[in-house]
Amino acid sequence: MTPTTDETRGVRAITWARRKQATAGVWREFARDRGGLIGLGGLVLIVLLALLAPVLTDETALEVTNTTAQPRQPPSAQAWLGTDRDGISVLLLVWWGARVSLLIGFSAALLSVFIGTAVGILAAHFGGWLSTTLMRFTDFFLVLPTLVLAIALSAVLPRGIGTIVLAIGVASWPTTARLARAQTLTIEARPYIERAKALGAGHRHVIGKHVLPAVLPLVFAHTTLVVANSIIAESTLSFLGVGDPSRPSWGGILQAAFNSGAVSQGAWWYLLPPGIGIVIVVLCFTLCGRALETVLNPRLRGQR
Amino acid sequence: MRRRRGRGAKGALAALSLVTGLVVVSAAPAAQAQEEVTLKVALTQEIDHLNPFLAIFQSSTGVGRVAYDYLTRYSAKDQEPVPGLATDWKTSKDGLTWTFTIRDNAKWSDGKPLTAEDIAYTYNLIRHNETAATANGSFVESFDKVTAPDKNTLVIKTRTPQATILALDIPIVPKHVWSKLSKVDDPKMDEPPLVSSGPFTITDYQPRQYVRLKANKNYWGGAPKIDRLDFVHYDNEDAAVSALESGEVDLVNRLAPAQYDALQDNDDVTLNKAQGRRFNELLMNPGAATKDGEAIGDGHPALRAVRVRQAIAKAINPQVLVDRVMSGYAELGSSVIPPVFEDYHWKPSAQQRWKFDKRKANQELDAAGYQRGADGVRRMPGNGRPLEFRLLGHKGRTFDEQSARYIVEWLGEVGIKVTQEMVEENQVDEKGTAGEYDLAFSGWGVNPDPDYILGLHRCAARPNAQGQGGTTDSFFCDQQYDRLYARQLAEKDESKRQEIVKKMQQRLYEQAPMVVLDYDNALEAYRSDKFEAFTVQPQPTGVIMEQNGNWGYYQAQPAAGGGEGGLPAGGWVAIGAVVVVAAAGGGLALRKRGKSVEDRE
Amino acid sequence: MSDVLTGIEQPADEEAARGAPRGSGAVRFLLGKLGSALLSLALVVVLGFLLFRMIPGDPVVTMTRGRPVSPEQLAELRERLGVDKPMWQQFVDYIGGLLRGDLGTSYLFQRPVADLLTERLGPTLLLVGTATLLAIVLGLWFGIRSAWRRNSRFDKVSTGTALTLWSMPQFWLGLLLLIAFAGVFPSGGMRYSDTPPDVFSQTLDVAYHLVLPCLTLTAAVYAQYLLVMRSSLLEEMNAEYLTTARAKGLRDDLVRRRHAVPNALLPTVTLVFLQFGMVLNGAVAVETVYSWPGLGLLTYEALSGPDLPVLQGAFLVLAAAVILMNVLADLLYRVLDPRVRAT
Repeated sequence: MTPTTDETRGVRAITWARRKQATAGVWREFARDRGGLIGLGGLVLIVLLALLAPVLTDETALEVTNTTAQPRQPPSAQAWLGTDRDGISVLLLVWWGARVSLLIGFSAALLSVFIGTAVGILAAHFGGWLSTTLMRFTDFFLVLPTLVLAIALSAVLPRGIGTIVLAIGVASWPTTARLARAQTLTIEARPYIERAKALGAGHRHVIGKHVLPAVLPLVFAHTTLVVANSIIAESTLSFLGVGDPSRPSWGGILQAAFNSGAVSQGAWWYLLPPGIGIVIVVLCFTLCGRALETVLNPRLRGQR
Repeated sequence: MRRRRGRGAKGALAALSLVTGLVVVSAAPAAQAQEEVTLKVALTQEIDHLNPFLAIFQSSTGVGRVAYDYLTRYSAKDQEPVPGLATDWKTSKDGLTWTFTIRDNAKWSDGKPLTAEDIAYTYNLIRHNETAATANGSFVESFDKVTAPDKNTLVIKTRTPQATILALDIPIVPKHVWSKLSKVDDPKMDEPPLVSSGPFTITDYQPRQYVRLKANKNYWGGAPKIDRLDFVHYDNEDAAVSALESGEVDLVNRLAPAQYDALQDNDDVTLNKAQGRRFNELLMNPGAATKDGEAIGDGHPALRAVRVRQAIAKAINPQVLVDRVMSGYAELGSSVIPPVFEDYHWKPSAQQRWKFDKRKANQELDAAGYQRGADGVRRMPGNGRPLEFRLLGHKGRTFDEQSARYIVEWLGEVGIKVTQEMVEENQVDEKGTAGEYDLAFSGWGVNPDPDYILGLHRCAARPNAQGQGGTTDSFFCDQQYDRLYARQLAEKDESKRQEIVKKMQQRLYEQAPMVVLDYDNALEAYRSDKFEAFTVQPQPTGVIMEQNGNWGYYQAQPAAGGGEGGLPAGGWVAIGAVVVVAAAGGGLALRKRGKSVEDRE
Repeated sequence: MSDVLTGIEQPADEEAARGAPRGSGAVRFLLGKLGSALLSLALVVVLGFLLFRMIPGDPVVTMTRGRPVSPEQLAELRERLGVDKPMWQQFVDYIGGLLRGDLGTSYLFQRPVADLLTERLGPTLLLVGTATLLAIVLGLWFGIRSAWRRNSRFDKVSTGTALTLWSMPQFWLGLLLLIAFAGVFPSGGMRYSDTPPDVFSQTLDVAYHLVLPCLTLTAAVYAQYLLVMRSSLLEEMNAEYLTTARAKGLRDDLVRRRHAVPNALLPTVTLVFLQFGMVLNGAVAVETVYSWPGLGLLTYEALSGPDLPVLQGAFLVLAAAVILMNVLADLLYRVLDPRVRAT
């Protein structure tokens, strides 16, 4: 009963058309949420600016041996946001810091969501002792004080961006696992999965063709929130001194400011911009995530 | 509408009456505290122990220096040994027997007299009890015998001549108290009141909060001019600085340049920029090895060549670090003995000094056969290993983290790729001792006698085969230097010794196992509306806190005007209470109003 | 941080529903909960051991930093600390010590870790407790109001504020408040050295020092409670019984008080306990900024050593606290939820 190529193509086309339609529907729903739109717009703008930093700005101006400006100067015509402890423009520093913060935020979130989704789906799909073990593990990681765990991990591993990504990813996956598991259970309870199994579909088929496509949208919405959390976690870790000093993220800039006496100097221009950057990005992600979740989770529809 | 406003007003009135009550009550104890003069000193370092045998941290030994007496003291003027508990001393011809005359008029804070017996007891306790040796064991290592033939005489016999005998940093403890204890680390000895004989007595200690001392009116050197001395703990410099500004504390040190600058506009605060005893250096692993010459560690082989190290010395510009990283609050570095010890300090002449010259550094590396590869990084002649160095530094130490970026960029210009390796302090020490570094930031606080710091660069200072027992700073090993070291040790003539010491520094400078980057200024600030200028050590450019002695605290003097400048702490408490209660009252009123709005709906 | 904003999954909810017990099941439920908590605790203990054995660096070097020591002294110290022993032996010692309440000796402070932890527990409890209480009051109050007047200006302002506060790293908010209130409130610590020793002055002094740290911690926590309260109340308000109640002609206010709010309270109150770990995370950052002498600051200080016994001890205590709170959350859920209670 192998379907001919044409038939496959037909089935695929239908699937694609249906998905396209669904996506369009989601977008229409999403577009109705003004907060979500603002968040999305803000994110696109910030990511673009971060990506274009090498084009729009001069990277050599970040080199300490190249600057001639006085350190720790308040905003002026030359440096719109003042200068840091090395005499580098804070504006430039924050601009380039965005790249590091976003990179870590995205990578950590991806890692965390990947672990979480895998654990969640496996636990729900296979059930039995595997499920019990996995969920026990999830519960365990859920209760650990994540920041302390991440601090410990980054003390164990060599310093660098990779370590921070790993520390945040490993400490923050359980919520995704729970979400993925709940959603998988819902999906697998539906009759068509029963039918597919009866027709001899293997684990790979069921997970790959049915469970994943149904779980992923919700996980995707959730990911935006995980990115937001990861960015905050990254800044906190960097502030506590486990970041990479050669490529300062927003948290790293704040740590440098704090350590060089910016608070007693009252150097607001040094402390405000990185923090505002974090707030804006996190806020944008949160708005997007909330809007997406409202759209994708029918239970919440019409509430917000 | 009217009803609602009435309710809100009632709430506010209740809050107000509560506030007035609080102010009156809390103002009373504040007024009481005014009668005594208290000098409040900010500490940003933890107190590890009050027990003088266990206290190691600078903060704790600083407290010990005001609470306890020592055999001798360093003068405030030029850090020469002057009488302490000992009024006089003489040494035998072979330099192995020292006889000290102990003063008659020293008393313990419990009224009992302090005698030579107490001093002998203290030294012997350290010699025979491992726990007691924790903090100061090294001072008595060469002691053969310590006795007190009578209550005014102390005799110390040593196995080898000991240069530091007049600088024993050992607090003297009362025999009648300590001999009753079953163990030296008895926790009771961390709990005041503690019996001591110094110008102040410890009366109260709250870990991580404060140590309080009261003046010893019977002190043999005369009573201090203040009544109390409080060391108040702050977790970071910023907290300490704002405490100084608000009048919470009177004396602060270890300021960062930004903080020092920020205090410049404050009329009530006087700043002290002191010549420091510390230097910062950039170590270049010259081929780490044990005492027996067996190679250890994983230092980059290229750094074994003097020419490479010299080229690096020319490729970096310490003056920029002084100007920009230290904001000018440092002196340009040259040798391992800071200029504050002017008799021993060696300064290179204009021709001798490595001149910052990228072109020349590049030329020299080219000429030595270190050709650049396609990626712009130089390769070693022969094996073609790229010149990629790690730069080891203390994580969280501002100087290391800031300077590292300059070093990376400067060396990048001459085709040397440097990656930062900022790690925890114990890992810096460990990697440093094991020779597991290419470049590394290090630094030392130097004592008045140059012997120790010079000794660090001898072949014999390197570790043994097990990688232990070494105190080497640089893994430098040079026959010429070692010969000079032996000569200065044996030299009795002071000016001749100075000459040799200077030659040693020159040798170090030329062989460049390190580049001394700068000598930090010690930045301090105090409330001059409450206190007269403090006694510094050495004079006139020295420090108030972290002296080799207690002159700053002991001779502190309240300002002539009387310390009415700041709001007393009790006043702040009252203000705090007002704010809290007002906020609560406001919240209450808001809630009431909210409720009536709700009712209306 | 966790995703309270999603508000779609309630572990307690799920588990309570799954294990809805009958009759003697209540005891079994309790035992089951305690059992899983103990298992988690055991895992924490093991993880605590493994994690902190992996940190590089010789502890003896930390302890002897900055002073000359002979090789004999070093060897003696190593022996006293037991760092030379094989791993399994260390583990046995560690478990034995734990059972005796002995958590080892701090490298940095040279004092028993258990003493240090007890000493620091008080200030953390004070800070976290005060902030949580304040956050509950503020969060619930604003949450209920926002939900009830959905899309009003009040709702927009309060939800917007909450979202912004929630998006802030707590240490940054702390830094800003530190600058803004420089000179008005103390810059750090828990009390002045020269406050009179009587209880009244001491209490006032501590309260005065508590204001800023507490404010900072409250800001982020209350925002979470608000958002959750709001969304669960909105969910309740869509429920059919409310429409019925309204149809019966009950006043809005009464409907809210009698029906919607109590039901919506359930997930929020449970959340207060479940999110305790997040509050502790905040405490680490806030205590560091304000030098509040609690467990969080201790963790930060121990990091710079690194002081392994202290890090390990702090990790154990904090994790155990979170586990305890989760057990409480489960129990509370059982007591409060009418559905579970009824069966």
